[in-house]
Amino acid sequence: MKICILNGNPGSSRNGLDCYLKELSAALEAEKHSVVQFALKDLTIKYCTGCFGCWVRTPGECVVKDDSAMVCRELVRSDLALYASSVIMGFPSALLKKVNDRLIPLIHPYLAIDRGEVHHRARYDHYPQLALILKRQQDTDDEDMDIISRIYERTALNMKSSLAFVRSTDTSIGEVVNEISSI
Amino acid sequence: MKLAVFNGSPRGRRSNTRILLEHFLKGFSETEGNSHEVYYLNLVKEQDQFKRAFTEAECVLLAFPLYTDSMPGVVKCFIESPEPFVSRKSNPDLGFIVQSGFPEAAHSRMVERYNEKLASRLGCCYLGTIVKGGAEEIQVQPPQMTAKLFTRFYKLGRVFGRDGSFDQSLIEQLAKPERLSPIVLLLLQLLRPTGLLNFYWNRQLKKNGAYSRRFAAPYLEK
Repeated sequence: MKICILNGNPGSSRNGLDCYLKELSAALEAEKHSVVQFALKDLTIKYCTGCFGCWVRTPGECVVKDDSAMVCRELVRSDLALYASSVIMGFPSALLKKVNDRLIPLIHPYLAIDRGEVHHRARYDHYPQLALILKRQQDTDDEDMDIISRIYERTALNMKSSLAFVRSTDTSIGEVVNEISSI
Repeated sequence: MKLAVFNGSPRGRRSNTRILLEHFLKGFSETEGNSHEVYYLNLVKEQDQFKRAFTEAECVLLAFPLYTDSMPGVVKCFIESPEPFVSRKSNPDLGFIVQSGFPEAAHSRMVERYNEKLASRLGCCYLGTIVKGGAEEIQVQPPQMTAKLFTRFYKLGRVFGRDGSFDQSLIEQLAKPERLSPIVLLLLQLLRPTGLLNFYWNRQLKKNGAYSRRFAAPYLEK
């Protein structure tokens, strides 16, 4: 399986996540999965400005040329997009959210009805499944984890996909690898 | 009342959020002694100023468009900056406006839950979340189509300026439709092939000479 990991760890003080992901990548590769990992903090990616240029000027591509194009390209060619972040103020990092916002070139502005709701139609025939790896902080509780899961379930739905799982870094690497291999 | 307003739209001063806020603030200002200041969160380098405004306000209104089912990145960036203020005594009351392009309010209900949790995490009194769908086109709609919407925001602001709380019945009216009825959904399905529903996007695609490339899938090419 082709796996694209977005590491949304914003700084060196939250290193535990980087170590976890390094170990996870190695374990996944040992299981013959192909893994591409982006450390988002090392990429140059601007905040979305809401111009909708990716929908109405240069369809499918952001008008701002930065590293987000690389992430979009890799992600849409993957089978699984693994979003990883520490939980900060009850939600994944601003860094990860910034990059999530810059993925909208992958969908189409036209509307479609899906499960009784208005959503956007697909631009591509195939999208990766989503999954979340979250590093809990002292103040993180189960309600936070539930809110994050519900929100990303909807994000997955808007990407014509589904949320495969949400796990915290308290889960053993072996268990996450098994979960991914069973998708 | 001293109100700090944070406009969380990535479009800043050119946003639909600004238009809705203008009507709200017009009503808010009708009560004597009320004052407000608006801060634009897309100016991400001004976090120190935002932080100061947050701590000095009696009330904070955080307004943003729904971006990929939650708050835009610039808003999350702002939310991370008051991390040191968690449970500080005398944090301001905190209310929210979430507007989205989708017609139904249902899309914004999960981030509404997040908002309430955020207020409790900060130790702020939670004033509520005003949810409004179908707001993407308000800048191009003729005045008769937006009059009712703008009046409701004005009234919400007026009640808030006077009582310091959101009027629940106005919030309920603004949130309609929560979901589209089966009949409307069927109608939309029937209208889809006509392209009428895509008018807003097609007009812009054509203006930009991009209409023929509208289904481009560039990241699978080459």
